[in-house]
Amino acid sequence: MKAMIVKEFRQMRRDKRAMGLMIGLPVMLLVIFGYAARFDVGQIQTVVVGPNAVQVSQSLDSAYDVVEVDETGDRQAVERMLRNSEVEVGIVTGTGSSTMLVDGSELFVAQSALRRIPPATQPEVLFNPNLDTAPVMVPALIGLILLFIGTVVTSLGVVREREQGTLEQLAVMPLRPVDVIVGKIAPYFLVALFDMAVVTIAGLLLFNVPFVGSWLVFGLFGLVFLFVVLGLGVAISTVSKSQGEAVQLAIMTLLPQIMLSGMIFPLESMAAGVRWIGYLLPLTWFIKGARGEFLKGPDFSALALPLALLTLMAAVVFGVAMYRFRGDLAPKRGDAAQEAPFTPAASS
Amino acid sequence: MIVAQARAVTRNFGSFTAVDRVDLDVSSGEIVGLLGANGAGKTTLIKMLLGLLAPTSGSIALFGEPQRAQQRRRIGYVAQNLGLYPDLTVAENLEFRAQIFGTTPSVEMATGDGTDLLVRELPLGMQRRASFTVAIQHRPDLLILDEPTSGVSPLARSELWDMMRREADRGAGVLVSTHYMDEAVHADRLLVMAGGSIVAAGSVGEIIGSRRTLLVRTDRWAEAFTLLDDSDYSVILDGRDLRVLMRSDDDARAVIGLLEGAGVAVQTTVGPATLDETMVELST
Repeated sequence: MKAMIVKEFRQMRRDKRAMGLMIGLPVMLLVIFGYAARFDVGQIQTVVVGPNAVQVSQSLDSAYDVVEVDETGDRQAVERMLRNSEVEVGIVTGTGSSTMLVDGSELFVAQSALRRIPPATQPEVLFNPNLDTAPVMVPALIGLILLFIGTVVTSLGVVREREQGTLEQLAVMPLRPVDVIVGKIAPYFLVALFDMAVVTIAGLLLFNVPFVGSWLVFGLFGLVFLFVVLGLGVAISTVSKSQGEAVQLAIMTLLPQIMLSGMIFPLESMAAGVRWIGYLLPLTWFIKGARGEFLKGPDFSALALPLALLTLMAAVVFGVAMYRFRGDLAPKRGDAAQEAPFTPAASS
Repeated sequence: MIVAQARAVTRNFGSFTAVDRVDLDVSSGEIVGLLGANGAGKTTLIKMLLGLLAPTSGSIALFGEPQRAQQRRRIGYVAQNLGLYPDLTVAENLEFRAQIFGTTPSVEMATGDGTDLLVRELPLGMQRRASFTVAIQHRPDLLILDEPTSGVSPLARSELWDMMRREADRGAGVLVSTHYMDEAVHADRLLVMAGGSIVAAGSVGEIIGSRRTLLVRTDRWAEAFTLLDDSDYSVILDGRDLRVLMRSDDDARAVIGLLEGAGVAVQTTVGPATLDETMVELST
């Protein structure tokens, strides 16, 4: 038995990925559940408008982070700010009572706000009036499914080629690297698009999720996000020798995205350091775009930053992945000395 | 015409030299056998010829020109690990390859009734035959095979060598690596690799040359084997007989003296060495 235990520890020590999973995963879970997993939001970004704006803003609970006070502002201006995700709550004051407009697409933020309704204020939830879960989760689920196909399924597909030795065969066939790369990735791209369509239609028909934004902008988010996740999948495949290794790596990229992207836990409730990790994850920005288009239909300019960040991620991740994948299909000249071209001897 | 040529080709992996200044020529219509134990450098050399690895130094030319991507259309490659898609049928593998090479699938050449079976459902011999058929269906001018007969039955091995001979007769230059010494007779010319270098070249007879073996017969064969092995003789156990490769004519006397000195009575005869014995000597 002792021999068995010693052997197992030796193997464990040499399996760097498994060690990473065994040590990295508990640390990640500790961080997530210690600093991120909170449903109660303590900082609600708020705008207060109307004749009594100054007075009302001074009487608000400390959870309300008043970012703007505008005595000349009106309900229309507040609705636009909520639609463009500039604030999460807007209070429209009047001569008598006030109205608190709450962004229902931010489920937990809205619930936190509704637990702290200021006196003489009528709450009104916009975009998701019943605070249903489905309208908030379906857009995020679309991202999760794209992420799964892009990273797990694609990385497995490419690693399988290497394990079978068929990647080597492709490299000696009259194919350009771009033919192999596009030919390999295009089917996953199409399947992911198909799944995106299916989940979207199912969300609309089965769960009665509204879609009030632009299909074009939503499609653009999906497309750019797909490039990021396919790039992630290919990048994972280029550093994995086996399908098992690819799955381990894919899990390590999936978990933080599920936990820290705002899909489940609101970003606003996370500790600053953890929230910034969330800002580095592509799913965070896809969810912002998708939830916006499904529930709020914001101005395009309001989604410019998420889209620009996703595009940047796509360019970097996809670019690096393609560069590395291309290296698998062409000889590595790293340590090869360059010599004058060899002139073959005469035929004999 | 020389279809593949290497001059002083070397490949290092860090401080390890896998292939060390190898020269090689493969001409149209000939089968060149690349012999060597596992780790001798055969596969690394093949990968450099295929353009899968760049040489650290030295030069490779195919069809009289430096290596270029366009030459791949004229190359057929059978990898040690088959290189077929196991979850496609043989016919689908043939079709895929035919589409890439712009030829028609040669289904009739494949595995007969097995063409509609998934590759993973076929026995290894049929998988290797399918792999071979897939590699030659575009009629390559250079056919490179890495251990194509590994793990298959003697009958299937003979069939594969017949197929290689037909390709050479058609005019292709064939380079085939193997560690089965008994297959060497099928090649027109042999290159023996050991430690990354070519240590011998020529026909089987030329490689064996004048090497001789002392056949030792004794009832106390186990004790005799230990004595000779401990004395650094190249000794092989053949049934209950011992075959001792002679480095010089004096070796016979020395061996007999060593064994009889230890009280082991022996009968001895001298005969030509086999390729196996020669390989043992060349590899050490």
